[in-house]
Parts: sequence; structure tokens; C-alpha cells
Amino acid sequence: MSHLHIPDGILPPVLWITGLILTALLLAWSGPVAARGGPRLIAYQSALGGIMLAVMALPVPITAFDYCMTLAGPVGVLLGPAPALQVSFVVTLILALLGQGGFTVVGLNTLVLGLGAMLARPVYLWSVGALRPARAVALATVVSQLASTAGWILVLLLSVRLTPDVAGEHAIARNVIRGIQHAGGAVVVLMLLAAVAIEALLGYGLARFLERVRPDLLPVPSAHRTGPAASSGEGGGARSARPL
Amino acid sequence: MTNTFAQIDHLASAGDSPWHRSSALSKLLLLFTYVALAVVTPSWGVLAALLATLVAMCVSARAPLRLMVAAAATPFLFAFIFTLAHTRSDWDEPLVLFARPMVAGLAAIWLVITTPYPDLFAPISRVLPRGVGDGLFLTYRAVFTLYSRVERMGSTLRLRGAMARPMQQRFALLGEAVGTVVLSGFDRSQRLYQTMRLRGHSGRVCGCRHYLEFSRDDFWVFLAIVWAGVVSVTLWHLRTS
Repeated sequence: MSHLHIPDGILPPVLWITGLILTALLLAWSGPVAARGGPRLIAYQSALGGIMLAVMALPVPITAFDYCMTLAGPVGVLLGPAPALQVSFVVTLILALLGQGGFTVVGLNTLVLGLGAMLARPVYLWSVGALRPARAVALATVVSQLASTAGWILVLLLSVRLTPDVAGEHAIARNVIRGIQHAGGAVVVLMLLAAVAIEALLGYGLARFLERVRPDLLPVPSAHRTGPAASSGEGGGARSARPL
Repeated sequence: MTNTFAQIDHLASAGDSPWHRSSALSKLLLLFTYVALAVVTPSWGVLAALLATLVAMCVSARAPLRLMVAAAATPFLFAFIFTLAHTRSDWDEPLVLFARPMVAGLAAIWLVITTPYPDLFAPISRVLPRGVGDGLFLTYRAVFTLYSRVERMGSTLRLRGAMARPMQQRFALLGEAVGTVVLSGFDRSQRLYQTMRLRGHSGRVCGCRHYLEFSRDDFWVFLAIVWAGVVSVTLWHLRTS
């Protein structure tokens, strides 16, 4: 994925406690908003959450590495911000229970994954008029992945800044480490960019398929809503573009 | 790839160790104790003792070695990146950074292989908003059906040579294949919705109350918690310079 799940015990407490508080506030906000969709939406959210977890377990070979998809962008487009945040939290919590990512950092991991998912539908709705749905989903996925990646890098930078150095002052060792840091940073950035491109292509293919087979699952801006599908509600397809 | 979810689910339901027979609530308490100690302790001695204890607990719960190694080793990449970004010249502090997530990962695996998911999710869902709590149960169930579909899809793509195509085509094709799984998930959600309506879903999926049923085997869980407290007090002074 374009970011790694953050494990327990590495980040400073001030950071993960803030993450837990922010996530709790966002979940409190999302509860009533998503509840409007009723059990139909909960069922749809759960199916897409299940797909996210299942797809994450499918390794995609890229040269020497295996890449794990997240589908945060397309899921965000299909669900809307509030349900997408809830799905991100549930997925993150289940992963933490499986030892992938930590418990204390469930908040931060949710924010990193959920931030991208929450941005996806607004970006899609903004761009779908000018682009075809497949390209709009690809664009939304790019923005989503970049947001998640930026969030992840921000967490890493903040944690490095907030953690007191364990410094001894050996100049040679320091120079060697600085060199390794620069090289490592370049590799990480390249891998993250590759991940963003892969997710965008996946989102493009997925949306192209849905546009061909079940276009009613893709949201359309309110002004373009017509026909019976428009009244099918959130879970009867994501036809309504009303942000959830 | 082996279906890790199914393996964990089977171990949690079919296991018969004292850990399996103890209540979910006491095991959750143990998990939080071990994670909290691992996160706050600066002592490599405490971390080593907690790690050894958890390995013993996992082995006695008959955890497969592959699961234990995966849980302990998964955080290594992030820990490595953080260590690389953070370290100046000391090399002992990074060892603590590697050990902390290992303790948390092993504790998590021990918990999920000894606790069936309804018992595990019931207490957690009670402190979450309704939609999220329900989502926890339903998402976990959905994974099993959808995972097998995803696995078949992956095999089909490989056998038909889709993964050997140029990068751009490969991932667009993969996206289309994932689209079929999304459709399947959507259909599944419709059936699930109808089932929930028929069964009179009242706004919350109620987990069972087995998680509150304490037994004699809870003694071992509380003993492990007390043991963690004792080693923490005893070994707290063993820390990096």
C-alpha cells in the first residue's frame, strides 16, 4: 500500500493520543450522518470493508516487491466521506487484531487511511463532469492516495521531531547514518509514488468495469440525477451524490 | 496465499487450551496490559520478559509458527524506516523500538487465536458507535466469502497471463477483476439487508454475552497479568544508557 500500518510503541504518546481523540471525534460525527442510510448502508459498508480486507491480502508482484492494494479511493467514491471513515476504522481495527498495525495507533492508522477515502467522493463529483467516470475515479484515487501518503509522512516527520534524540556524538557514525537516511528516503518516496500510480490504474479499471456493467453504483452529481436509480437511496446503489 | 482469516477463525473456535476456555474480557484486559507496558517501558529487560512470556503463551495455545513469525515481523519495516529516520549514532535504542511492536503483535495473535470473534467483538462493539459496532461483525463475516472470490480471481488472472502483461494493462485488468468482486459484494449486501430486515434488525447487532462468563481458567490469564506486573517492577531498571 502507499503507506505502512503504523505499529505500537514507536511513535511518541502525544501523537497517538491525539490520533485517538481526533478519530473518536470524527466517528462521533460520522455516526448520525451514516445512520441515515439505515441497515442497507451498513450492509453495503461491510461488503466494501470486506473487499478492502480481502484485496489487501492479495499480493501484486512489482519487480522484486509484492504490493498490497487498499482500494481506499474507489471505496471512498462508492460510499461517501462518513461511511468511508467508518469502514476505514473497522478495517484498521480488524487488522490491528491480526497483528497488522497497532492498537494504540488505531486512531492514526484510521486517519491516514480514512483521510484519503473521505476525500475521494468530493474529488470524483468535482471532476466527473469534465472527465469520464473511469478517469474521475482514477483522479479521485490519486488524490486519495496522495492524501494518505502525505498523512503518513507527516506522522513520521512529527514523530521524529517529537522524539528526543538518543544521540551519542560520533561524527563518523553520524555521517554514515545521514547518508543511509537520504538513500532510504529516496527509495521510500519512489515506492510511495509507484503505489499511488498502481492504485490509480486499479481505480480506473474498476470504474471502467462498473460504468459498463452497473453504472448505477457510481455516484453522479445532484444536478444530473434522473430516473428510477436516483431514488434508490444510498444503499440501493450509490446513485445519490449527497455526501453521507 | 493461505487464508489467514480462516486459519485464525478455526483456531479460535476449535482450540481447547485453558486460554480458549477463559473469558474474552479477561483476555482483552491482558492484551491492554501487555500493550500498555510495552509502549511505556524504556527497559529492554521488561520487553524481553514480555516477549518470552507471550511466545510461551502462543505456543501453549498451539499458535502456528508462521502466524507468530508474521505477527512479530510485520512491524519491522515501519520500525526500520523510523529507526533510519531517527537514529543518530546509538544502536541499542532501536532494539527497543523493534521489540515493542513485536510484543503488541504477539499479544494480538494470542488473543485472536484463543477467542471466537463474536466473543471478541461483543465487548468492543459496546464502546463504539452503533454503525461501527455492527460494521465490525458484518465486515468480519463478509471477509470470508469475498476472500475466496478474490483468491480465485487472483489465480484466474495469473493462469490467463494477465499478470505478465505490461504494467499499465496489468493493473487496469486487475481493477476490472476487482470490479466483479465489488459487484458480488454489492449483491451480498442486498441479501444481507433483506436478512436483517426479516430478522427484525433493531439498530444494533447484539453480540453474545459469553465474554462475561468467567471460569477457573481465567486464573491463568490473571496470573499472566500479575506476572507482567512483577517483571515490570523487577526489570524496569534494565534500560539503555
